[in-house]
Amino acid sequence: MRDRLESIAERLARASVVDRIVISLAALVTAVLIGGVLVFVSGAFASCRTGLEMGGATFCYNPMQVYYELFLGALGHPLEGGWTLTNYSLATTLQRTTLLIFSGLSVAVAFRAGLLNIGTQGQLVVGGLATAVTVVYASAVVPARIVLPLGVVVPAGVIGTVVLIPLGVLAGALAGGVYGAVPGALKAYADANEVITTIMLNIIAVGITSTLLSWQFQDPNSTNPQTAPVPEYAEIPTLPVVGFGGRMNFSLLALAFAVALMVGIAWLFARTSFGYELRTSGIQPGAAAYGGVDEKRMTVASMTLSGALGGIGGAFWVLMVHGRWLENVPSLGFDGIAVSVLAGNSPIGVGAAAFLFGIFDSGGNSIGTATDVPPELVGILTGLIILFVAMPEFFRMLGRRYVTVDSARPARTDGGDAGADDGGDADA
Amino acid sequence: MAVTRGPTTEVTPMRNAIHRARTSLEQRPLAAAVGGVAVFLLVLWTTPASWQTSTLRFAVPIALAAIGGIFAEKSGVINIGIEGLLIVSAFSAIVVVDWLGDGGATAGLPNLWWGMLIGVLVSVLFALLFAVVCLEFEADQIIAGLAVWLISLGLAPFISRILFDSPNTVNITRFENVTVPVLSEIPLVGYLLFDTEPQVYLMLAGAVAGWYLLSRTTFGRWVVASGENPKALDTAGVDVRKVRYAAVLLSGVFAGLGGAGFGLGTLGTFAGTGDTVINGRGFIAIATYLLANYHPIGALLGSFLFAGLNSMQDVLQAAGYAIPTELIRTIPHMTVIVVLVFVGRTRLPDAAGDHYESGDD
Repeated sequence: MRDRLESIAERLARASVVDRIVISLAALVTAVLIGGVLVFVSGAFASCRTGLEMGGATFCYNPMQVYYELFLGALGHPLEGGWTLTNYSLATTLQRTTLLIFSGLSVAVAFRAGLLNIGTQGQLVVGGLATAVTVVYASAVVPARIVLPLGVVVPAGVIGTVVLIPLGVLAGALAGGVYGAVPGALKAYADANEVITTIMLNIIAVGITSTLLSWQFQDPNSTNPQTAPVPEYAEIPTLPVVGFGGRMNFSLLALAFAVALMVGIAWLFARTSFGYELRTSGIQPGAAAYGGVDEKRMTVASMTLSGALGGIGGAFWVLMVHGRWLENVPSLGFDGIAVSVLAGNSPIGVGAAAFLFGIFDSGGNSIGTATDVPPELVGILTGLIILFVAMPEFFRMLGRRYVTVDSARPARTDGGDAGADDGGDADA
Repeated sequence: MAVTRGPTTEVTPMRNAIHRARTSLEQRPLAAAVGGVAVFLLVLWTTPASWQTSTLRFAVPIALAAIGGIFAEKSGVINIGIEGLLIVSAFSAIVVVDWLGDGGATAGLPNLWWGMLIGVLVSVLFALLFAVVCLEFEADQIIAGLAVWLISLGLAPFISRILFDSPNTVNITRFENVTVPVLSEIPLVGYLLFDTEPQVYLMLAGAVAGWYLLSRTTFGRWVVASGENPKALDTAGVDVRKVRYAAVLLSGVFAGLGGAGFGLGTLGTFAGTGDTVINGRGFIAIATYLLANYHPIGALLGSFLFAGLNSMQDVLQAAGYAIPTELIRTIPHMTVIVVLVFVGRTRLPDAAGDHYESGDD
């Protein structure tokens, strides 16, 4: 009997994982379809020399070309001649994937604890500045070289790499963690809605960091709002031979670290009592409290962990991409929300979703260079995906209607079909 | 508040005081009104006129979005997407005015008012989308609201680039002051309330209309019941879904008036980079109505607080204080957090955020 129950439970769990994957894919497809229509229609309002003439209007944009650039441009156009694996576009895609894994994990951890951390962006901004400043100041005190016993001379570069990178990442995690703990504590002890406080803290983070920058940390040799550069040996090293070149601002080591962190968080959720308590507080706060979980401490702890992950994202943005902190931080934290929502807040799913949004970021650049379509399209697609993931009932309804009543209907059958199959599984 | 707080929580006495003050104000509306007017006149008498007019103008999007948010949330649908509604209405209003011709009139109506009309219409369309997603497809309201915001955040600069080759729109001629004869001669308040731009009149009228609609009409009672006890409303024979649709669409109307009024009256152009020129005003509006405990007139007064802080940066800079602008600009946002800490979570309507499924269909 017990075995039977367990096998049913297992099947249900698997079904709901499949359910989530199908809904995420359906949301992606639907968003891409609607985005395509938007691109096509908006082409009628743009001005161009050549375009599709139809009904007296000229449609300037070809959605197929836009999506070709978005999805294949992000990989460096693998179907065209002269393609190499280690190309600049793919490096950008993977660089974004790496950073989005951090911010996606950040949002997912809070989500699983029942908290909506919109503040990953601010935590990333603050953490990044802390990293840059720490590394720049610490590099001044790293000795030129160390002579070990037996006359082995270790050059400063190696020491710098071994000491400064962990130090910088730690500084980012600490600063991000503290900045995440603030809304956690406000939520736990003053009942202040974390959605609003984190959005406000994002705006405040921009104000604080740019004030700090102009007050103390501005690079004296530059007019751009940015910190002094970290020494080259403190940037994330790239792998020789198999890796991407140093000018591509992407390191496989960083991606490996992100993936390891992803697995670590998955393990934390699945195998540790902290993870169990965190998940229970998210699903059933009452039950968790009854089971002896200190709800307030859990709120602060999960927001701190979430903020630390965001801060690590900022650290890697500094140490891998620019080698310094710039005032104009890209919206990695906001995209982290989309990553986590699309991944159903599963740490492993975050990896796949981060790769998709990495493609969006990098492909957005190739849209900008190869077509006249505004790259803001990517932002719209992101919003649409979140919207559709938020309404799984839509796809279940579509599935039920088109599969049982009229399976020959062509419209969006891929989302609908699978959704219905899956609903059947879950009911069984 | 169901959970009792430990004795160490320091915000509690302060918060209790605020709660007591708020309830006693609500129970004695006449005293509250007289006291409010007295404080108001005192503030007017002691502060510079330029700060007052700029405060009124910056209050427009916050106050109107807050009043709209009150209707949605009171009916049980938390509309966190009002930030997005402000963005699309401000942007589309300016685009329409530019398209019809700056400074002209079409079909007897000045183009600025066409912009206002279309801005509100676009905002209502987005609110309709949000309502369908939440009410038909049982979406998570918070995430759907975020999605509405993100879509608007991408859509406005996307269209702007197509039309103007830049994420920022062109400049248009803004609304001019409308002066009410005689009344504008009243000392202290005349120049402020009766010699101002149309969107300020709309805000003042909207607050009164919102208050009347919510607390003095059958529809208002339905809205409240739909958020507190939808089952009872259903039993009484009123369609909960229709009430919620109406409330969310109404939030679109108010937010649209706020966004379009702000764009056409105060900004005259729409900057679409970063968080756009709306820059979190919709979220400030949410904090405002929580502070005001869902009272439309209270939300109007609350918006003066945030707008006043916003326009204070100009005053401080004019006075020559060397405070970094980036930091001053965040003062309203910091105040939102302080307000939330001291007010705490206002008691949400019981059924807010929940989908309601009627038994009989």
